[in-house]
Amino acid sequence: MTSAFGTVLTSLIRHRGVTGCMVVGEQDGIIVDSSLQIGVNGTAFAALTASLYRRARRSAAAAGFGETGFFELDAEHGRVCAAGRNDLVLVVVAGERVNVGLVRVEMLKALEVLS
Amino acid sequence: MVTDDVRALSEALAADPSSVVFVQLGEALRRRGQVELAHRVAARGLERHPQRPDAHDLVARIAIDRGDFARARAEWETVLTLAPGHPGAQKGLGFLCFQQGELDEAARYLGAALAAAPGDASLAAALDTVRAATSDAWRAPSGRASAIGGAPAGTALAAPAAPAPPFAPEPADARTLFADVLGDATRTALLLDRDGYVMAGQHVGADGRDAGADIGAQLSGVSDEADRAMRHLGLGRWRQIVFEAEAASVAMAPGGDGVLLVTAPRAVPLGFVRRLLERSLERAHRWLERGT
Repeated sequence: MTSAFGTVLTSLIRHRGVTGCMVVGEQDGIIVDSSLQIGVNGTAFAALTASLYRRARRSAAAAGFGETGFFELDAEHGRVCAAGRNDLVLVVVAGERVNVGLVRVEMLKALEVLS
Repeated sequence: MVTDDVRALSEALAADPSSVVFVQLGEALRRRGQVELAHRVAARGLERHPQRPDAHDLVARIAIDRGDFARARAEWETVLTLAPGHPGAQKGLGFLCFQQGELDEAARYLGAALAAAPGDASLAAALDTVRAATSDAWRAPSGRASAIGGAPAGTALAAPAAPAPPFAPEPADARTLFADVLGDATRTALLLDRDGYVMAGQHVGADGRDAGADIGAQLSGVSDEADRAMRHLGLGRWRQIVFEAEAASVAMAPGGDGVLLVTAPRAVPLGFVRRLLERSLERAHRWLERGT
C-alpha cells in the first residue's frame, strides 16, 4: 500500500476479527485502497457497502437527522462497518467476533485522514 | 433550497450581527437536524435580544431536540411572561407537561392554545388525549398520572415516561405500542410494513406532529438496500443496522414482513439504542403474533 490511506488500513486490519478494510468512492463504489485477507470479495463489499452507506446517508438527511457518520450492518455471518467523508467511505468487513466498539472508535479517528 | 436559505440567512447575520434573522436561521438549522449549531446561533441571538419572545421560543424548541426539558420549560415560561397567551409557548408547555405526567397543567396549556387556534386539529386531539388520560389516572388505584401506559387512538402525543409493569398488557393503540419499552418520548420506534407504511409506533417531533409516516418512508429504503446487498455478500441475512446521524442514532431490524426502526438522540449510547431495538422487536413480535 502506497497511498495516504495505507497507515489507516494497516491499523484496522490488525484488529481481531477484521478480514478486510477499504477506502471506497461513495458514488461509484470503486476501491481506492484496500487491505484484504485472502478470500474476501473486496469488489463486491466495496460496491454494495458504498451503495448501502449512500442510501443510509441520504435517507437520514431526508428524514431530518443530518449527516451520517458511523454505519454498521450486523448479519448472520459477519458485520460490515462504514464511515464516510468527502465522497470517500471507509469500509471494514469483519467476522462475528470483532470488537465493533473498538473498530468504530478507530474508524471515526481515521475519518480525519479521509478529509 | 434549504441549504441556500441557510447560506443567505448566515450571510445576513454575518453582515449585521444585531439582526433578528438569527431566529429564522436557528429554526432552519434545527429543521435540518443541526441542533448544536442551531443552539449556538439561538443562544448568541438571545444574548443580544433577551426581550424577544420568538428568541426564547426558538431556544425552547431547540432544548426539546437536545432533550433538555427543564431549559425548554423555563424558556417557554419566559415567553409567556413576555407575551402572555403566546400560542407556541402554550402548546409547547402543554406537550411538555403531558410528557412529564402533569396532566392538569397540560390540559390548561393545551386548552388555552386551542382557544387561540381553534382550527389546529393536533391541539384538539392532544387535548382529548390529556382529558382521557386524566380520567384514567383518576380511576387508577394509585391515582398517579404517571400510571398511564399510553395515549388513546388519534393522539398526537407521546406517552409520558413510566416504568413498565412486569406483565402489563400491551396498549390497544398501535401508536403507543412501544411507549413503555422506550421509556422516554425523545426515543421513538416505528414498525413498518414491506411498503414502508407505519403499522405501529409514532415519531412525535417537538411541534407535536407525528412524523412517523415521513420518517418511515425515508428510512425503510435502507432495509431494502440491505436485502439486496445480502444476496451478494455471503453474510446470510442481516439482523441489525445501526447508524449515527448528526441529530439521532438510528437502529433497524427486520420485523414481521417489514422493518422495525428505533431512533434516539445522539446523547443515548449506541449500545443502549441497540438494546431498545431488541426490546421493541420482542414487543412487535408479540403484538404481531396476537394479530392485534
